[in-house]
Amino acid sequence: MQLLYYYILTVVLVAGMLLIRNRATVNVLTGLFLAGQMGLCVVSWMNKGSDVLSYFTFDALAVLFLTLLTLLSITTVIHGFVNLKDNTTRRYQQYHAALAGLIASITGATLANNLTVVWVFVEATTLTASVLIYHEKNKLTLEAVWKYIFVCSTGIAIAYFGILFLGLGMQGNARFDLSFSAMSELVTRVNPLYLKIAFLFVLVGYSTKMELFPMHTAGVDANSVAQPQIGAFISTAMVNLGFVSFFRVYRMLYHTSIFSWMNHILLIVGLLSVLTAAGYMLKARHVKRMLAYSTLENMGIMAIALGTGDNGYYAAILILVVHSLIKSGLFYQLSQLFRTLHTYMLKETGNYFILNPPGALVLLSGTLLILAIPPSGLFLPEFLTFLSLAESGNWLVLILLLFFLCFVVYAFATRMMHVLFSNPVEDHPEPVMVRPYILELAVQWIMFAAAILLCFYQPPFLQQLMKEAVQMF
Amino acid sequence: MMEVLVILFAFTLFYLSMAERFRVYAALIGLQGLILFGLSIFELREINLANLIFIVTETLVFKAILVPFLLYRIIKRTGVLRVHPKTMPGFYTLLMAIGALVISTLLSSVLEGKAMERLTITAALFALITGIILIITHRRIFSHMIGFLVIENAVFLFSLAVGSKTPYLVNIGVLLDIVVSVLILGVFVGRIGARFNDLETESLTDLRH
Repeated sequence: MQLLYYYILTVVLVAGMLLIRNRATVNVLTGLFLAGQMGLCVVSWMNKGSDVLSYFTFDALAVLFLTLLTLLSITTVIHGFVNLKDNTTRRYQQYHAALAGLIASITGATLANNLTVVWVFVEATTLTASVLIYHEKNKLTLEAVWKYIFVCSTGIAIAYFGILFLGLGMQGNARFDLSFSAMSELVTRVNPLYLKIAFLFVLVGYSTKMELFPMHTAGVDANSVAQPQIGAFISTAMVNLGFVSFFRVYRMLYHTSIFSWMNHILLIVGLLSVLTAAGYMLKARHVKRMLAYSTLENMGIMAIALGTGDNGYYAAILILVVHSLIKSGLFYQLSQLFRTLHTYMLKETGNYFILNPPGALVLLSGTLLILAIPPSGLFLPEFLTFLSLAESGNWLVLILLLFFLCFVVYAFATRMMHVLFSNPVEDHPEPVMVRPYILELAVQWIMFAAAILLCFYQPPFLQQLMKEAVQMF
Repeated sequence: MMEVLVILFAFTLFYLSMAERFRVYAALIGLQGLILFGLSIFELREINLANLIFIVTETLVFKAILVPFLLYRIIKRTGVLRVHPKTMPGFYTLLMAIGALVISTLLSSVLEGKAMERLTITAALFALITGIILIITHRRIFSHMIGFLVIENAVFLFSLAVGSKTPYLVNIGVLLDIVVSVLILGVFVGRIGARFNDLETESLTDLRH
């Protein structure tokens, strides 16, 4: 019932944000929305393991990612308040209404316990995210939003094809319904060919949201033109949503005969993602695109972790959690970088350490953390993934992965070092020494500190939740 | 009668592969909408009246009338009448369409089910591959949009094959059609056409850095 109240509250608040032309009121309404989001999060913890409104569930997977989403929502809203100071009131209203809509859509998809309900909410995320991507209303954002809508919609249509294939395979069953729990019992009796086709369609479809090969392009373009805090949100919360939607289908097919075949596909897709990321990072000219390709690389490693089977599930979840903390912190810092350098083009940037030492320190730390260099929290799950690959005898995958990662580390580190310490290569807009907002820096450091802490110590409740989240039916 | 409609739908796909004028594209998309309307009536007689009205309204009003109308409006507004001269010649795309039909037939032949169901699935898969071919081989954004609409029709046709026993799925498929097509056409009509004059994919490459 609380979920229903949450959605009623969201509708009322979003309507208020759109109708009342007053920034202070919009701020208050956004704060109220966040309070509602936190309230729902608390309710999900209190009712862990129960179903709500027939089509939703508070299972461990949902609770974990709802908590992460709530955290990312708060930090994104805080950075939005800072970055949108110069916007007109109308744009300010549209931005916050769309952001609340996006958060509510992701919440729905995360909690959904039914294939079609997931699909409806995923579609809603495309709509609301497109408003945020088009926020600047220029030619570049128009290009990005067109590609985003086009690729995501095609991807979701393809995913729906997969769902229909599952429906086709289950037609003989009298108690046919599309809830994950009911379907996991029925799929074992379905022709494996149908399951394979369905899995491929669903993987390709949801790869638009997961920023995974082959449909990663939409997310990369969106990240590069959207406001940094929205880039952070798309790169983390949206990617996590893609994972949850996909993982529920994967878990449903766990006991079927195609399980090992699925894992092979995931290994291939993961490797291709890391390879693509490495290739593009080597020729990247835009700082935000670098971060977007880094997301592709991390999701590739996550897919490989999943593909190694039981040993890799925990690593996959941990990658997503830590990646969300580090990547969002890095994206948030880019707004300070832009206020100082007035450009995101790599050749025009440089000397950031001189111009903004506190911000540069965040960028440097974030670079080391996202490259999984200890004490980064990413080190542990990546190491577990390598170990899992070795234990499962996938030596070729392990060697290729390590080989591709060398290029990723080289490309990312050299370009970030250039931004921090070198002189700009090309003519650039006159940099301005700006005083960074303490709140911004504090949020970024807290996120990095949490990512470092997870390398040494994972609180028992979190460890338990993550283990439950990857438990198969 | 249903067999005839499905085969007619497949013919529109062949014609789409060869066509070079955008007006023909718009007309064929409208014709596909009419065919889907006919199929909905024949296929979904078992389900309740509300569902039937919902689906019929969607196919007839939306797919057969509104979408072609918006397409004609885009053609008029942008003044771009033909596919790009450098687009792959119609003969080769026709060959690819034949290949797509062969693949679809082979794929559906290994699936279980009644003959009519398999025929519908063949047509749906054929439409899916044709839509992808249109997007890959053409240079103008308008053709890409047509490719997407063909994929949407493929999803709808497929949901008809599955849907007689699971009407819930059909409604969701319909919802997908409405939301996404309106959104894409809306962006196209409202923004893209006005900003990018030549409507070629080359003009949408500023983000490749």
